[in-house]
Amino acid sequence: MLYALMGIGLSIITGVLNIPNFAHGALFALGAYFLVTLIQLLGNFWLALLLAPLGVGVIGIVIEYGGIRPLYRAGHDYQLLLTFGLSLIVTEGIIIVWSPVGMSQLPPPILRGGVDLGITIYPRYRLFVMAAAALLVLGAWLFLERTRYGAIMRAGIEDKEMVSLLGIDIHRLFTAAFALGCVLAGIAGALTAPIRGLNPWMGVDMLGIAFVVVALAGLGNLLGSIVAGLLVGVAQSLVALVWPEASVAVIFGVMTVVLLVRPQGLFGIR
Amino acid sequence: MSRAWLVTLATVVLLPVFVRHTIATEIWIFAIFGLGLNLLMGYTGLLSFGQATFFGAAAYAVGYLLKHYAINVVLALAIGVAVGAASAALVGYLCVQRSGLYFIMLTFALNQMFYFTAYQWTTVTGGEDGMPGVPRPEVLGLDIHAPLAYYTVVALLFVLALWIMRRIVESPLGKILQSIRDNELRAEALGYNVPRMKLVAFVLGGAFAGLAGVLYAMLFGIVPLEAIGFVFSGNVVFATLIGGSGSLYGPVIGSFVFIWLSESVSAIWARWPLLLGVAFVVVVLFLRGGVVEAWARYRAWRHASG
Repeated sequence: MLYALMGIGLSIITGVLNIPNFAHGALFALGAYFLVTLIQLLGNFWLALLLAPLGVGVIGIVIEYGGIRPLYRAGHDYQLLLTFGLSLIVTEGIIIVWSPVGMSQLPPPILRGGVDLGITIYPRYRLFVMAAAALLVLGAWLFLERTRYGAIMRAGIEDKEMVSLLGIDIHRLFTAAFALGCVLAGIAGALTAPIRGLNPWMGVDMLGIAFVVVALAGLGNLLGSIVAGLLVGVAQSLVALVWPEASVAVIFGVMTVVLLVRPQGLFGIR
Repeated sequence: MSRAWLVTLATVVLLPVFVRHTIATEIWIFAIFGLGLNLLMGYTGLLSFGQATFFGAAAYAVGYLLKHYAINVVLALAIGVAVGAASAALVGYLCVQRSGLYFIMLTFALNQMFYFTAYQWTTVTGGEDGMPGVPRPEVLGLDIHAPLAYYTVVALLFVLALWIMRRIVESPLGKILQSIRDNELRAEALGYNVPRMKLVAFVLGGAFAGLAGVLYAMLFGIVPLEAIGFVFSGNVVFATLIGGSGSLYGPVIGSFVFIWLSESVSAIWARWPLLLGVAFVVVVLFLRGGVVEAWARYRAWRHASG
């Protein structure tokens, strides 16, 4: 489910803005670090969980405004270098502000311990993350499918010129889409922190996975991102049961097979 | 002989006088790496963000053979080129199925796959610690352990690589690749098999990366895990872009600037990737086109003002 969350966020950004966002993983890590610091400051997990992604979103707006906007007409190579540079800056920034040593974060007291599910005992926090991510995915989907802003965003993926001809401020749409993608990455990061702990490079693995999800789903295909995210997650955890060392490589294996059979992605039209 | 060739040869001869030999050697290794990428990025219009895959694969494969089977240098270089080309053929075959953003993301994702394989396969690669103890055997009976002797070998190979690359981009094949860059549809309409041509470019680029990877492993005597990581892929893209992609000498100038700067800064401050990131952003926002274009603009300006 977290993969689906990352996938949708990246899919919105790549779909609407048509740029490869290599900073997506770093923003994921930033979400986790914001969460830890806000918990220390506020002493409240829930408030921190709400504010951390918004903080990432604000950083996203700054990035879009200052960095990406001047580059819409430049080639992908420059956009890629910019976001790659930004991801280096964010990662090194995390090392300087926090520390290069990993950190851990306990879930809030209510969510500690396990739940007896009859067949097995499952950690309570993981159940919460699954439910929360499912709700967020559902929310994002409803937002994109059922609201006016969502419709504008989908239209932006389809045809940017037409949208701007209809009198919609395309730059504001771009900023909003980028910020939304960043918020989703931030939430995914914040939710992950109590499960896997934190380190400055935690975003790198996630970035690769998010790219795989988007490549599988087809750019800008939001429902596809959800399905592909689930598929990758399930494939990974199943393999982790039998052969833990290969669990990361298998994601790319899945992608390779799918792209060989269906070069346009699972749900892609182009 | 053109002026650019003379300048290059003069630089090759004079560089070890002014710069530490290890850094000078690294500059030419990185330049070979950049030449391969530039064939893809500058001449074919394919932005590969996974060049470290081929660099690292060759470095690991040959490093392993050098360590355990004591093969000779010429064979090592040949195997490096072959491994680079073969891994590029494998990755390229998948990647050329898609274009645009998908292509970039695929090269990156496959790079990650190789990275994690190297990371987990600790018995061969040493995982996070890298593969130490790569020897530097004699070449044609000559001892190349002295830094300057090894520099000479690498510099000669670089000149050879540059010459080969010039032959490639000026050949009919090079022109076809450039036509794909400029207008893919038209190239296809003219009857060229575009995916196959892209794959050819990929394999050639991978061969250059493989050569660079082997030279790198022999230079430092170790294959670090970073050699196959995506930051390394990003670095070579950056070096090529600051030099100016799409010109033969762009990646050479770029790696010169990049290695020299990063080696001097990293000695002073451990957090130098931060500066690197800032440099990426500054170059992208203010200096697009790189050194070669900036120089051309400067010449045009001088010309205009008399």
